[in-house]
This record gives sequence, C-alpha cells and structure tokens, in this order.
Amino acid sequence: MDKLLRNKKAIFIFMAPGLILFTFVLFIPICQSLYYSLCDYKATSILGPKFVGLKNYRDLMKDDTFWIALKNSLFFLVFSCVTQLIMGLFLAGLLTNIEKGKNLFKNIIYLPCVLSSAALGLLWMFIFSPKFGINKLIETLGVEGFVKNGPLWLFDTSGFIVLPMWVIAFVALWQYVGQSMMLYMAQISGISKSLYEASYIDGCSKARSFFHITLPLIRPMVATAMSLNAIGSLKFFDLVFNMTEGGPNHKTEVLATHLYQQGFKYSKYGYASAIGIVLLILCLIVTAFINKVVKTEQYEM
Amino acid sequence: MKRKILATLLSAFMAASLFTGCGSGSNGSSSASADGVQEITWMFWDDLDATEDLISLGYKDTLDRFNEQYKGKYHVTAVTTNLEEYYAKLNALVQSGETPDVFICSPGPQLSDYVTPDGASPADGLCMNLDEALAQDGWKDTFAGDAVFSQQTYDGSVYAIPLNTAAACCFYNTEMFEDAGAKVPTNFDEMIDACEKLQAKGYTPITISAGTAWCLSMVAGYLCEAEGVDLAALADGSASWEDGKLEAACDKLLALSKYFQPTAAGDTNDVATANFYNREAAMLIQGSWAIGQINGETKKSDPEFQNICGVFAFPGVDRIIAKSDSLCISKDTKCPEAAIALVKMFTDDTAQKYTAEVGGKIPVTNVEYDASKAPAQLSYVMDVFGNAKGTFGFYNESLPTTEAGSHFDDTMVSVFLGDLTPADAAKDMEEYYNENCR
Repeated sequence: MDKLLRNKKAIFIFMAPGLILFTFVLFIPICQSLYYSLCDYKATSILGPKFVGLKNYRDLMKDDTFWIALKNSLFFLVFSCVTQLIMGLFLAGLLTNIEKGKNLFKNIIYLPCVLSSAALGLLWMFIFSPKFGINKLIETLGVEGFVKNGPLWLFDTSGFIVLPMWVIAFVALWQYVGQSMMLYMAQISGISKSLYEASYIDGCSKARSFFHITLPLIRPMVATAMSLNAIGSLKFFDLVFNMTEGGPNHKTEVLATHLYQQGFKYSKYGYASAIGIVLLILCLIVTAFINKVVKTEQYEM
Repeated sequence: MKRKILATLLSAFMAASLFTGCGSGSNGSSSASADGVQEITWMFWDDLDATEDLISLGYKDTLDRFNEQYKGKYHVTAVTTNLEEYYAKLNALVQSGETPDVFICSPGPQLSDYVTPDGASPADGLCMNLDEALAQDGWKDTFAGDAVFSQQTYDGSVYAIPLNTAAACCFYNTEMFEDAGAKVPTNFDEMIDACEKLQAKGYTPITISAGTAWCLSMVAGYLCEAEGVDLAALADGSASWEDGKLEAACDKLLALSKYFQPTAAGDTNDVATANFYNREAAMLIQGSWAIGQINGETKKSDPEFQNICGVFAFPGVDRIIAKSDSLCISKDTKCPEAAIALVKMFTDDTAQKYTAEVGGKIPVTNVEYDASKAPAQLSYVMDVFGNAKGTFGFYNESLPTTEAGSHFDDTMVSVFLGDLTPADAAKDMEEYYNENCR
C-alpha cells in the first residue's frame, strides 16, 4: 500500500475520474454561473450573455420576492437543523434501547426518505387541501363547517412566517428525520458497551448516560448531520414546488424555487445565476459556521 | 496485457459516453428518417393523451390527419408539457439549438421574445417570416380579414398564424341566478347586487383563481379598463399609475373579492374552473377557451350543465379582452414545407369547423360552420363580441415586457391578499415602470 501511495502516476490515475467529473460537472458550471451572474442573459437571446457587472446583484437587493425567499430558506434551515437534531437523536436513542421491533420501526421511520419527494408533495398537498383531507376528516368527525371555515393550511398568508411554510417544514421533518436518525444510530452503535456498563455501575441512569456518554461521543456525527441538513434545507425545492409552487403570491418561495422561477419561467439566466451564487455562498457560510460551532474531536470508542 | 487493453478500451468508451451530451446540438429538430420521411416536431402546452379539453383534442385530430395525409412524406411528433412548464421547456429547447419546428405561443411580449429577441429585427429573430407562405395558394384570403394578424405582425410582416379567438367573459349558472332572483348585471353596482343575492341564498357567487395570478389579473384588467387606464400613455410616461385610476380599480377588486370562494388565494385556474362546472359557484370569470374544458369535463358526468351555462360580458366595460392561440415556425426548421403544411392544416375548414362546433372557440377563417352543432355558449360569446366596441389584450400580455406583466399580476394578487393597499399598488406600479419600462 505504501509503495502504491508513493507512485505519483498511480495516485493521478486513481484521482483522475473523480477530478474530471468534479471539474466538468461542478467546478466549470460554478465558474460559468459566476460569469453568467454578471451578465444579462435571456433564454431567447441571440446575442448570448452580455456583461452588465453587478446589476443582477443590485436588482436582487431590490427584489421583494428574493427577501421573502431568503427569509423562508433561513427559517427552513433553522427549523430543520433544530427539529431534525432533536427528533433524530430522540428516535436514535429510543431505537437503540428497545429490544423488540427495532428494525420494523427503523424501516417505518426511514421509509419516507426513499420515496419520491414529488409524489409525497402531491400526497401532502391533497391531505392539506381545504376541500378534502384533514379539514374534511375533522368535519366528518363532527366539527361542523370545518371545510369552509377551517385553516387554509397551504393558502394562508398571514404572519411573518406563513402557515404553509410551517406545514411544509413539518412534512420535510417527517420525510427526512429517518436519515438523521440512521446517521446517529450508526454512530451510537459504535460506542463501546463497556462505557455504558461502567456508568451504570457508578449509578448512572439511562438518561444521564445518554447526556454524558452518548452525546459527547456522537458530536462529530452531529456536525456532519447538521451540515447535511443545513445544505439540504437551503437548496430545498421539491416539496415546496409540489405543495405550493411558491405561492400564494410568492409567500412560500424559497431560494431554490425563486431561482427556478426566474431561470426557467422568465428565462432570466443571468439573474437566476446570481441567486444561485448567493445560495452557494450561504451554503459555504452555514457549513463553515456549523463546523466551527460543533467541535468535532475524535474520541476512541 | 489483454486485461489492460480491455480496461483501456472500456475507460475510453466511458469517457466518450460522458461527453456525448456536451456537443452543440444541430439547429432545428426536424430530420429525415431512413425511409425518407421528413420528421418535424410540434410543441404544445397540454398533454394530448390525458386531456379532456375539446380544443386540445381537436389539435390532436389535426396531427393525426396530417400524419395520415402526408404518410411516407412528412411525419409530425407532438412535444407536450403542461401550461405552467411550457415556456421553460420551450426556452430550454431554444437554448440547446433544438427549437421545435412548430410551436404555440401567446401573442404579446411572449411572442416578441421569439420574434424580436434582444430587441433585434424580426429578420434576425427565431421565427420564420410567413408572408410568402400566406401569399401562396390564396391561404391568406381564407382568413377573416387582416385584423386577425394584428398581434402577429412585426414590421409589416406576419410571424405567427392565429388559430382561433377567445374572449374573456363571465360564465354563470342560470339555475342559481334564477333561484337567487339575480339578474345578468350590466354595470359594476348590478354585479355587486347579483353577488349579494347569490350569497344570501347560500351560493358562492364567484369562483376565481389567485393561485394562477393571471386569472385575478384578468378581472383587474377589466376594472382598469372601466376606469379608463391607458396602457400606451403609461408606457411612454405621459400618464401615471398614480393618477387614481388603478387605485379605483383596486378598490372595486377588493369589493368584488368579498364574493370569491374562500380558497381563491391558492386555488389554481383548473380548480377554480372545476368549482364552476361542479356547480359549487354561480359565476366564473374566464376566457371563452374554458368552454372546451367545461363541456369536455361535464360531457359524461353532467351533460345537462351546458344548458344552464350562460355567458355575459364583464359589466361596465365597452371593450372585451380577446386572445388567440398562435403557431410559430422556427426559422431554423430543416423542413419548412412540412411545417407550413402542418400550420395550414390547423387553419383548414375541418380544423376551423371543429374549433367552433366542438371546441366553442371563434374561428379565424371564413369557414361556415353549423351554429346548431356548436355549443350554446359559443353563440353567447359571439353576442358578447358583437356588442363590444372593440377588443384589448390581457394586461399581462399587453404591458411592455413579460416581467412587467407578471409584476402587474403579482401586484393585483397582493392587493387581493391585503399585502398592498390600492394606493401602495399604484405607487409600486409607477416605480416599477419608471425603473424598467420607460
């Protein structure tokens, strides 16, 4: 192995596929987007991109929908990170400690992760539809007039964070909590049993051992899971698009849907690229922040 | 050694396959197949295999007729998508050099994006100049006058062919009106009065979609027309959005919105239309293209509905909003003869008769159709047309740019949702025009 690692040719050959893929699929498109974000570039343009400097970014600052989208994306980021951390840890802690049905519950909780977000989005859209779904069910159970007067789960537009955003965030939590749970479970299962046994001998309860042994030892995974959650939340698109399409009147727009609308509905490729660059910078900042805040020292387990 | 050669070959194949999609596509999507048949594509905003819309089904028949008539010579393939995704997909094809040979487009700024992109001369645009084709075989003479081409003409030349004309009207359930003692309104006050009576009787007076913003904006367009808003003067800066007319129109919109269904904020156009033909609301303010949808959807489930579906002009305005579906031919098509033959077929007597007799839309040619076969709603729409003093376009298609149209749509929805006061809406539109349109 050492001999192989000294062979520069072998290193290059092994790295080449990844490097080529990264360069052509990620690095060059990012550089192109950066350039397009400084251009006036419409889909039907016959002249190609026209350099306009920072105009797209200046327009972005004046775009009300961009600020709504940014607010919603940040809400989504905070909601996702906090709830998935708490729920994921809770479920992971619970399932590692139960004897029977562990695999069954693990599969049930993880199942939404492997289902198509588009299909789930439509399913939940029907569930929250005012005419059938939850409102209809509640009326059937005896609350009169609930279909007509009940909450408009996906259409209400009052409040700083509108009700549809809370609904979508809840659905996203339901869909992706299984992923966080699996990551935490994998890390928890790697903790030596002897550490727990020693703590029990010292009179530690299960709850205390969770806070004093499990939590500190899974911090590296918390950082990883939170980074994944954060990036996933910032570029979140499919559920929003399928449940509300950013409406009513852009109230549930997130950065990714705003990018899509500007890029593909209005064909403003330059402007959409500027949104993409803002999204990229946000992802980098948030990931760096999480890695800074959640210290990830490795312990021998 | 053999393994090394095999591995090298496989790697080379994989690398080559990776880059196959990177090359620049050939211009136009037409091609000749091995048996010499010229293949062309036609792009449309509805799924022809799933739709119940009678107009869309008529288009499907036309494609089938074309493939049958030109068997062995030309063949057309439909590229379809839903309305919301249509321009995104079309633009993606344009960018990748795969512009469909024939594609449908709304007149106004959207058509201008393809005919005069970047403000270029139409000759440098993406669409074919159709003057020569129209002059051949007296094709142009079959149309009901030059006026039908007014929205498709750039620098004196025609760049798109209209297929039919539709007007934005008020559809109403005659049974509900009768039951509530409401009369067909002729001005805004009578409209409010009719809504009051319908609501008092327990009906939802109006179904509308604010989720699909242009539906609400269409009503706002009529209210602006009633107040005398002059779009040309606004565009050249000789009038201001803050002159009180838009504000008055928004006030009326808010007054009318009290009678919308509770879910109007999020309902899509299809849902709002379904509310009407499912007899859940008394009025639907919609384009007459909805006749095909209403009659198609109720053909099996509620065939009687056609008989109780009346139409009246939006009250208080002299002119009506009119619109036509138009077909463009890509300038880069490799088979212009096939593309022209296809577009001609969409305007031949068979297609135009179907448009009126089944689809319920107004034909653009001089075709004589059997009025007794046509849906009753068409004759009401023809009456509306006959009584109107003129036509004007949808506001979102009549403002200087597509973005300005969308901004107007969003502003009107904001007023409806209470996010903007009428005065703020006027100020917002004026600021937008100053920055982007003048």
